[in-house]
Amino acid sequence: MKIGFVGLGIMGRPMALNILKGGFDLTVWARRAESMAPLLEAGAKGAASAAEVAAGCDVVFSMVSDAADVEQVALGAGGVAEGAKPGLIFVDMSTIAPAAATAIAARMAERGFTMLDAPVSGGEVGAISGGLTIMVGGDAAAFDKVKPVLACMGKSVTLIGGSGAGQVTKACNQILTGVGVMAVAEALNFARKSGVDAGRVREALLGGFAYSRILENHGQRMLDRNFKPGFKAWMHQKDMNIVLQEAHRLGLMLPSSAATAQLFNAMVGSGLGEEDSVAALKLLESLSGD
Amino acid sequence: MKVGFVGLGVMGLPMARHLMAAGHTLAVWARRPAAAEALLAEGATWCATPAALAAQCEVVISIITASADVEQLALGPAGLIEGFAPGAVHVDMSTIAPASARRLAARYAERGVGWLDAPVSGGEQGARDATLAIMAGGEAAVLARVRPLFECLGKTVVHIGAAGAGQVAKACNQMVMVNAIQASAEAMRLAGAHGLDLAKVREALMGGSAASRVLDVMGGRMARRDFVPGIQARLHHKDFAILMDEARRLGAPLPVAAQTWQQLNALMATGGARDDTASLLRMLETKETKPC
Repeated sequence: MKIGFVGLGIMGRPMALNILKGGFDLTVWARRAESMAPLLEAGAKGAASAAEVAAGCDVVFSMVSDAADVEQVALGAGGVAEGAKPGLIFVDMSTIAPAAATAIAARMAERGFTMLDAPVSGGEVGAISGGLTIMVGGDAAAFDKVKPVLACMGKSVTLIGGSGAGQVTKACNQILTGVGVMAVAEALNFARKSGVDAGRVREALLGGFAYSRILENHGQRMLDRNFKPGFKAWMHQKDMNIVLQEAHRLGLMLPSSAATAQLFNAMVGSGLGEEDSVAALKLLESLSGD
Repeated sequence: MKVGFVGLGVMGLPMARHLMAAGHTLAVWARRPAAAEALLAEGATWCATPAALAAQCEVVISIITASADVEQLALGPAGLIEGFAPGAVHVDMSTIAPASARRLAARYAERGVGWLDAPVSGGEQGARDATLAIMAGGEAAVLARVRPLFECLGKTVVHIGAAGAGQVAKACNQMVMVNAIQASAEAMRLAGAHGLDLAKVREALMGGSAASRVLDVMGGRMARRDFVPGIQARLHHKDFAILMDEARRLGAPLPVAAQTWQQLNALMATGGARDDTASLLRMLETKETKPC
């Protein structure tokens, strides 16, 4: 099975390297030539466009920024559909709106290609270690075929349902992590403002019902005042926007997500957009008279 | 003045009539020709396409539903832009995204055609009584030319700023108004939960510091449980998508508006889309009124 990979940013580069380590024949393309260099050094072949990647491959993965980019990579000039042989499987691992994923998949299907939406959770750390959580939507037979490749990138790989189901799952993930990080920031700021040691509060709560991975990891980073990304606040803002646009479209009430999205707006508006989401603590502190 | 008019709905029809009553020559085009019948009988001229309308008018006024509709009218096949002579003006009084308004202004400017975004507040009643509040974005010289038309339609005309600024003001208007409707609904719900007479509560509050036009009109509807529109809630819901998206783009937190938006989402999901926005009250009344 010949594999292609398009989009070699912070996430895509280590993910593609893990496919190589898994012993697969890999061809890559990225808009910026310097992004391709580490992959070529490690033994991947380079191509001049997504179409050229697709021409020599059975499966093409993409990891790009937003729905417009995915559409461009899949269906645009020099895109996958332009070069691919019939039966190609296109696996988009970017985070985009479920409705956009479904629409692009339908257009790919018209041209004889199968698309899976397979967004990930786990961040740069998970991408490097091959420990991502991968949530997949689309055809089950195509999923079975690409599962060995996905297993190089993630330790939890789940087919959730039909086209778009992976993106719905990712949106649920972003609701939980977005609202969760705000809850942890509010709790730790509440403790500190009440004159109590926030570190000991965290430690005590980790043993009880409020335990969560976010309290454990993000909470520790807040206490260490380590605001380096990680996952940048503006990216979380973008993902919450996907969630709220779907809610608007569906007529769905998401009050906690809506409040969380406003805190991300405030972070971006006050210059914290490039910092990790845990910098929400700084926003809350500045609004607490500190 | 030779004036074109597009959008003969509950707002547009009385507005078009005011212009005719003031002695302006009116030409019309409509997606559904039936919508124009009444006005044609009163002396307006029919045009077969937006381009044909634009070709024979100094000013074309539009008041239609969404950004995509206005862009289609202006730039679509046989659109206004194909017919306008240099120096003509498109005045769009619809509520659309500021970014759409700016885009259209730029496209028209390339051809020497003027643009104003001039959304209104005051609703159907304001349109009938010619008491609309008009908030304009665009060049001052263009506004000066069409101001005599605006004076037939409204009692306040404010030049807010450059193209798009009128739509920003309208977004602010919608946010203040619907947030106030939500606040009124919550007050009515609290009073109702205590078993009080809502009409009396509203009457008392109207005498004090909490008095507002929204509490007056919408509080009255809530007290009477009169949810016949008025303005349909789905239109406010549409407006919130525009303004919340702008807030995200600009990094501006709008915590109260975000909650109001979610209440509107719930109203859409529970069959209230075509009811008056006063039915936000009903979203607060779900579970607790059921017997245990």
